[in-house]
Amino acid sequence: MTPWNRCIEHLENTLSDQEFNTWIRPLQVDEEATEVMLFAPNKFVLDWVKNHYQEQITLLLEQLSNGQITRVSLGIGGSRRQNEPETTPAKESRTRIRPQVKSNLNPDFVFDTFVEGKSNQLARAASVQIGGNPGRAYNPLFIYGGVGLGKTHLMHAIGNSILNNNPSATVLYKHSEGFVAAMVRALQHNKIDEFKREYRSVNALLIDDVQFFAGKERSQEEFFHTFNALFESKQQIILTSDRFPKEVTGLEERLRSRFGWGLTVAIEPPDLETRVAIIKSKAVQLFGVDFPNEVAFFIGNRVRSNIRELEGALRRIVANAEFTGRPITLEFAKEALRDMLAAQDKLVTIENIQKTVAEYYKIRTSELLSSTRSRTIARPRQIAMSLAKELTNHSLPEIGNAFGGRDHTTVLYATRKIAELKESDHRIEEDYGNLFRTLTS
Amino acid sequence: MLGPKQNATLDNFIPGENSQALSEITACTREKQGSYLYLWGPGSSGKSHLMTAAAKAANENSHAVAYVPLAQAAELSPEMLANIEQMELVCLDDIHTIAGNSNWEEALFHLFNHAREQATNLIISANCGPSSLQIALPDLVSRLASGVSYRLIPLDDETKLYLLVDHANKRGMKLTPESANYILNNFSRDTESLLALLEQLDRASLAAQRKLTIPFIRSLIEQTNQP
Repeated sequence: MTPWNRCIEHLENTLSDQEFNTWIRPLQVDEEATEVMLFAPNKFVLDWVKNHYQEQITLLLEQLSNGQITRVSLGIGGSRRQNEPETTPAKESRTRIRPQVKSNLNPDFVFDTFVEGKSNQLARAASVQIGGNPGRAYNPLFIYGGVGLGKTHLMHAIGNSILNNNPSATVLYKHSEGFVAAMVRALQHNKIDEFKREYRSVNALLIDDVQFFAGKERSQEEFFHTFNALFESKQQIILTSDRFPKEVTGLEERLRSRFGWGLTVAIEPPDLETRVAIIKSKAVQLFGVDFPNEVAFFIGNRVRSNIRELEGALRRIVANAEFTGRPITLEFAKEALRDMLAAQDKLVTIENIQKTVAEYYKIRTSELLSSTRSRTIARPRQIAMSLAKELTNHSLPEIGNAFGGRDHTTVLYATRKIAELKESDHRIEEDYGNLFRTLTS
Repeated sequence: MLGPKQNATLDNFIPGENSQALSEITACTREKQGSYLYLWGPGSSGKSHLMTAAAKAANENSHAVAYVPLAQAAELSPEMLANIEQMELVCLDDIHTIAGNSNWEEALFHLFNHAREQATNLIISANCGPSSLQIALPDLVSRLASGVSYRLIPLDDETKLYLLVDHANKRGMKLTPESANYILNNFSRDTESLLALLEQLDRASLAAQRKLTIPFIRSLIEQTNQP
């Protein structure tokens, strides 16, 4: 065990789990004979560790190494053994005509895996054309629509298609935030010319979610010039946003108007048939599983908001099937999605239980809390108490209190009584079951 | 920043009805493959135990891990999310606590995207399902809903009884089932408070040289319940 490992062990035993995990866990280390170098993922963690733990760590390491280690230094990044060696000397890059550009394209996002429906027909058709004839057909292409409807997928599909048709083309995909971050980095390191060259030398520039440029004036200005350079040299520009170009707020007018120069296409939420087709296609793509139609229709009917949520539902069903080894049937899917589809997947509260029980028995909530002992009130009260014990984490004294200041022994009696009655009285069993389901689904 | 000392590990988590979630979390600590899990449930259903235990387990598998307690967001900054997608595993605890805070929401949205690109494993916890979060940024909401979500089910009373007796045993205390029952019927029933009470009982019984009788337990619970 190295001194650092022993130091970690000591800190883990003395700090709270949360504190240790937040600040010490992410540190990576390089250990030398007299010095230990710690690397934090970012400046915030670095400063925190420096202010709160560096002194303690230094003292500990000195003790644990019998005075061998005298210095603890802090840096940002990964440890040396994990850092990739820098292998691009300046000389080499000067001999290239163009800087090497990594496309950032996801190879899975192609037209073949994009399910077409009425909601995205036009956007898809325009995208296919651009893939075959970039810079000429429509420039720029502006795709807009709500979240999780496939804008990014379509954008990557165009990029992949361009590369497929012309492997020597340079295509660059960036989220707008990535563009901003790259520019800030370039400014910090005095490499803004390199940055400009990189972005202005591509054959197709794909910028996702341009609404995140809002309020970032320096980035907008840089992007404006990049846009002009690419547009004039007939290189393809593709943009996405959650809204129509004119409605993107926080952008300079000259940029907004340029966004509308080419073709603007919308992606609408898919209709039921398209949702079903998407589910079936994704099940095959992601898991090699053929979903029965009735299961796909069930999900498509219940999950309407966007494709990401459909994917979440699909993943949960497949996870359950893999865990239990059971086949994917309609019943199985319903069970797997029970939590997800719960009308209100909020937590059950005592108030909520009282309200639901009162409504079920057509009595008033105030009666549940009153001292009335007539059976028509007392029985529902006992049921409500049992449900509160089963469905919440409240202590029995707390539950008693919430039912008009009753003793915890009354709650205990109620739960025993109801457990008994569930065995002997079919109606009570049924009522309890109905209420339980209403409250949990 | 304070918090209980649980020595939480994946091995000492009692799964109850959460064994599928536990198995997926364990997988996330083994291989970086862009997995994403969303865990939700009421307080003391085991979220924080699982999150800190996952961080520990991944570290023991020589994976770099970041753990972000979002409930502490007020004293932290979204800047602490920078570059953490470089790790093998990122755990974001209590994401519901930053709902409505646009700086955190946007930073988490970008982190989510970076994590997808880098195939970083991601485990997120909250007190409600993704569609019930009061998060304003729809881009983040839809991403949060894109993975497998598990509602963690708190232990039932029988398992809690077992847990109390077992933990007492591990501390070298003898807790009879009757005494354990007394605790469950008279004290908070959430696991975290129960384990904290055991710790108190441990110290108090040592100091007073007393056995864990019901009267002794009652006196301690009464003290604890005093404001």
